Amino acid sequence: MKIKSLIAALAAVALTGAAFAKPVELLNVSYDPTRELYVEYNAAFAKYWKAKTGDDVTVKQSHGGSGKQARSVIDGLPADVVTLALAGDIDAIAKNARILPAEWQKSFPHNSSPYTSTIVFLVRKGNPKVITDWNDVVRPGVSVITPNPKTSGGARWNYLAAWEYGKRKGGSDTAGKDFVEKLFKNVPVLDSGARGATTTFVQRGIGDVLLAWENEAYLAIKEFGADKFEIVTPSLSILAEPPVAVVQKVVKKHGTAEVAKAYLEYLYSDEGQDIAGKNFYRPVSETAAAKYASQFGSVKLFTIDEAFGGWGKAQATHFDDGGTFDQIYLKK
Amino acid sequence: MKSIPHTTRRALVASVLTAILASPAFAQTTSEVEALREQIRLLDQKLRVLERNIEIKDETAAADAKKLPKLTASEGRFEITSADGTSSLRLRGLVQADGRFYLDNSDAAQDGFLLRRARLIFEGKFSDRFSYVIQPEFAGSAVSILDANLNTAITPEFNILAGRFKTPVGLEQLQSDPVAFFNERSVATNLAPNRDVGVQFHGLVLNKTLSYQAAVTNGQIDGGNSPADSLNNEGDLTYSGRLFATPFVNDKDSALQGLGFGVGGATGNYRGSFSNLGSATASANPLLNAYRTDGQQTFFRYRSASSLAPTNGVPTVNNTTIADGTSYVVSPQAYFYSGPVGILAEYFYTGSDVSIGTGASLNARTLNNKAFNLSVGYVLTGEDAGFKGVTPKTSFNPSAGTWGAFEVVTRFAGVDIDDNAFVDPAGAPTSLANANNSATKVTTYGVGVNWYLSKTVRFGLDYFNNKFDLAPGGKPAPTATSGGNKALLDDEKVLIGRFQVSF
Repeated sequence: MKIKSLIAALAAVALTGAAFAKPVELLNVSYDPTRELYVEYNAAFAKYWKAKTGDDVTVKQSHGGSGKQARSVIDGLPADVVTLALAGDIDAIAKNARILPAEWQKSFPHNSSPYTSTIVFLVRKGNPKVITDWNDVVRPGVSVITPNPKTSGGARWNYLAAWEYGKRKGGSDTAGKDFVEKLFKNVPVLDSGARGATTTFVQRGIGDVLLAWENEAYLAIKEFGADKFEIVTPSLSILAEPPVAVVQKVVKKHGTAEVAKAYLEYLYSDEGQDIAGKNFYRPVSETAAAKYASQFGSVKLFTIDEAFGGWGKAQATHFDDGGTFDQIYLKK
Repeated sequence: MKSIPHTTRRALVASVLTAILASPAFAQTTSEVEALREQIRLLDQKLRVLERNIEIKDETAAADAKKLPKLTASEGRFEITSADGTSSLRLRGLVQADGRFYLDNSDAAQDGFLLRRARLIFEGKFSDRFSYVIQPEFAGSAVSILDANLNTAITPEFNILAGRFKTPVGLEQLQSDPVAFFNERSVATNLAPNRDVGVQFHGLVLNKTLSYQAAVTNGQIDGGNSPADSLNNEGDLTYSGRLFATPFVNDKDSALQGLGFGVGGATGNYRGSFSNLGSATASANPLLNAYRTDGQQTFFRYRSASSLAPTNGVPTVNNTTIADGTSYVVSPQAYFYSGPVGILAEYFYTGSDVSIGTGASLNARTLNNKAFNLSVGYVLTGEDAGFKGVTPKTSFNPSAGTWGAFEVVTRFAGVDIDDNAFVDPAGAPTSLANANNSATKVTTYGVGVNWYLSKTVRFGLDYFNNKFDLAPGGKPAPTATSGGNKALLDDEKVLIGRFQVSF
């Protein structure tokens, strides 16, 4: 009888405790150019979650080159969610740290990519070097700013976009490699992330063209003025699909599985998609995509699966130790 | 001189400029300027690239540095911490070099110096959840492991400690030895169980105003460390627990912020044993401890035969007392620290089933022993006293005119042994303890001074007077060879000095 009373009392305490709002904290480990996106999105989600559950949620952000961020999570950075530049980086976390399932990409719609983007050129006002397409960035005397593909997800998209352009133009992978080799001969500085490359080009005044995430290029124009820079959309570019994932083992430990899942799901909501569009990402929902279509230039896009057989293959061929980037850059 | 009209002058300048610009010499100059401009632009770009590369290199180095383990080496702290701060290994140490001098008692133990403690302590954590301590003792005749345990913090309120650790009963026993008021713990600690092997659940609750500990261990007799083998009787375990409240600890403005009080206790079932009885190699494992004074002389011991070999072919166990049933200890306790003042008080009440002899010669009793300790300290140099010790504001440095911190301490303590321990029942049984070599009561007065030369170095000088009361008929023999305890011939007056390094 006493035990029953004790259990009843404990249950009552537990239920009473559940009735109170509790503060929740998430860590979102993301890549460089999403800073502005997630500042706005985190505030919107906190408001949504408070209204839904009564709980106060605080989302802490960590930004850096996508590859470096993945390395940090593998090394123990306790991310509840990762929102990185490319699937290969989250694959690396799944493979090396085993803190999320190998089939993580099936957890959310659109291969867990709630928004897409692509690679464009940011040039100085008046386009003094007359850069109109990929051919122009490999011309001698054109200084090109792009981050290090070893550490930056954006740089890997840049690299693959250039490779595919060269390959299509020359008709072979050898032509693609030659094209990228020429391009990297024009690169004087290798930043570790996309935001650093933007700083190099915009604030330090180095280079004639920045190979940039589309949203990063538009944000640079918005922040520093259309009188200083302009965007050149190449004839061909790659469809960048930055993915998101819940880090299962971490949320289990933190007790944040529910809120972490909801946090990423909300990216697909009308409000989440609208915020993505406002921050110059291409929304995946038809409504938001139509709403923001006019702000983007027209470009023929190809996917990584079509051109390179997916991230796993592209990573192994081009960016792993001894891959084509090492062959090109070490030679330089 | 007549000036040239304004309109004429303008026409003239325009003509001259036109002529200059049209000349081959100017064309050459313009291209040179353009070339120079391009050269300057290229040099400017090169300079910017160099500066940016240096900037990136510095940023990378700074980021990489954050990932490196952090090594801290300062007075009192030698520690390696992982870059994220969640894992660490800290090396600590304790050396106590003592001098003991017995005054006015020619029969007391020998004066001299000794290495009281020499310990290397390894402690650290893996993530914020797991922490560990490994503490070997190098002083004494053999190296031993004092503490070796792993703590798992399920939540801040609920931790699990497994391994070898201090049993949660006595307040002064639980206080770290190097920061205690005196060089030796009080005689009352003779009744407090010390280290044991098992598992303990503990934590801080009620906004950290109440600590609790509940342990299940192999078991040990009061005042001693647990032996390698279990002391349990027939698989029984020893249960100990402690509740300690610090109700004002979060109120910085309260005069009672440093008040703590609580109660600890333990109970177990112990039974001593004999082996090889009837042979020349017969021996006893009585599971009972002797009690010592501040000067570390034995003032109470149960009967223990020097030999259990058969007498005239008859096995005998009649001259050795053994634990023979339930044993328990209860200890209300408190401390109060306010500014330079520190007070620590505790009381022990024990019940122990012990026996001697067998059959018609059996003398089995429950002994109730009592002990108390009241210790007071005052830091003369104004530093705060605390349960975790005194941190001097300055270190000893005569050339800089700094002398560290000074603390005066005093103690009143005692142990009262149950008189039944000395009762000789009618007939063949004998008493549990010999009144000729054990006191029934010891009362201690102590004074001392502690000089904190730095955070890690302390010199302490203590004087203790242990007054012995003997059981009726007790007559300590004048020499050890006569079988008595010569330490009891007179009060123990002992001076204990200690140089201590603790970090």
